[in-house]
Amino acid sequence: MAAISLENLTKRYGDVSANDGITLAVEEGEIFGYLGPNGAGKTTTIRQLLGLIKPTDGTATVLGADIRNRKALTEVKADLGYLPDDLGFDERLTGNQALDYFARMRGDERREELLELFHPPLEKKIETYSAGNRRMLGIVQAFMHDPELVIMDEPTAGLDPLKQDRLHQFLAEETASGTTIFFSSHILSEVQRVCDRVGIIREGQLVALEDIEKLLDRSGKHVWLHLREDVIESEFVTEEMINVEITDNAIQFTYTGDYNSLLSHLTSYEIDDIEISNPQLDDIFKHYYSEEYTEDS
Amino acid sequence: MTAILRIESRNRVRSSVILTGVFVITSLFFLAVFPAMRDGAEAIEEAFPEYMMGLFGFEELHTIEGFLGGYVYPFIWVIFGGIYFAYAGAGMIASDIEHRRMDLLLSNPVSRESVIIQSVASLWVPLVVLNLGMAITLFGGVQLVDETLDPVLLSMVHLLSVPYFLVCAGIGLVLSVSVKRVGTAQVGAIGLVFMSWLIEGLSEMGETYEWLGTATPHRYYDSTEILVHEEYALGDAVILMVTFLVLVTAAVAIFVRRDI
Repeated sequence: MAAISLENLTKRYGDVSANDGITLAVEEGEIFGYLGPNGAGKTTTIRQLLGLIKPTDGTATVLGADIRNRKALTEVKADLGYLPDDLGFDERLTGNQALDYFARMRGDERREELLELFHPPLEKKIETYSAGNRRMLGIVQAFMHDPELVIMDEPTAGLDPLKQDRLHQFLAEETASGTTIFFSSHILSEVQRVCDRVGIIREGQLVALEDIEKLLDRSGKHVWLHLREDVIESEFVTEEMINVEITDNAIQFTYTGDYNSLLSHLTSYEIDDIEISNPQLDDIFKHYYSEEYTEDS
Repeated sequence: MTAILRIESRNRVRSSVILTGVFVITSLFFLAVFPAMRDGAEAIEEAFPEYMMGLFGFEELHTIEGFLGGYVYPFIWVIFGGIYFAYAGAGMIASDIEHRRMDLLLSNPVSRESVIIQSVASLWVPLVVLNLGMAITLFGGVQLVDETLDPVLLSMVHLLSVPYFLVCAGIGLVLSVSVKRVGTAQVGAIGLVFMSWLIEGLSEMGETYEWLGTATPHRYYDSTEILVHEEYALGDAVILMVTFLVLVTAAVAIFVRRDI
């Protein structure tokens, strides 16, 4: 059974479709990246999954519960963790009091263990917290009842790089022991590092849904070369090379063909240096957001 | 599942204690005026035009019962107490939504119905603190001006005010689940409670508009009736309680349907 399943999920505000017929499934035990820039509709999807807003059309299930069935959805929330992008704690409480509050509603058997990894100043009032401390408190409350599914919206916002690494490592361990993670982010490298599969959302529509590996394969290889002599474009460049940039004897491009044809092509040139790598998800992302990308650049 | 009730109750302690302090001090000021009032009540009653007497419900101002029932309770209790409960009701849901606390709260296995019911239940704190604070102050305070007060009458004035306060809170609650901003809900609730106090007072002046007052909660709680005439309008209290339950039910119905 899928931990989360969206079927034609649609949310419209007047003429604007914040979510436009999104269909996808998140399998148990996987870490699913939900990628898109700010305003693409990621939070709208999450807020529908939590029953905070109602879909205009279509539906979804969360841990088997239809989101249109309020009673069923409320019940499965005992096994759900949520880390919102905008962490609305009661500012007058201390970290400890806030955790006690949530513990009364859904338990806290893993609280101490989590506080060894993420340690906000629990004795202080939340109104004095830095962004990083708020985020750590948010992580602890999201996982402390040992949920089956955790929905995270921009989970590393405000965390320093060390804590980000710690979170990524922690998530890998959690999914290894069967927890499902729905990881929403606009940070591409992060999704690439952490997630098994990725859904890319653009202007409310799902534009890609693939394994990270396949997405990278399909997107070709990033090739960087230094030739002995200056590159003659008309002679060197083939159909399989895209995004070509040439400076004197240096050339870089994305190669969409297979390795063998590239290597046989290169044998006729004197090569000083070569580097072949996976493209960053950023490059792929630019492909899906080419409109915005051209505008920005 | 009483986590919300516990935390909301805790959050209400501070404002309840502060407000009780303000009410106690104001009541003592009123009482300090009473000896002068006792001697000059007739002149005062003559000086006020009749509609003013009707608006405030002045009767028997020279007795401590008339003074409390006509001056102290209508001002402090009915107007400002009512406004406080309307304000508290209006702040319940809208404030949590506006500050994004509702997102996190509703990610717990707790229904929206339960959120409202536990929030409303937390009003027990101001109800107990304010009533006890005022009752004790006035019971002791009247002895400072050489008067005595029947503790049964005093208890009834407070007991029968509870349904009235709950209706004020209910008005605020309905606004709270209906509008986007907590400020709008609070100003709206205060305005409605104040307006209905004004309408009720003015409606008593003539028979033509008397019916208008029946739509206000103020018609169903009269401190002078209790203290001066020793009449307990239990039927009116029932009307208020039923209204309160209708308001809470309406608030639940709106809240469970709306997007947050």
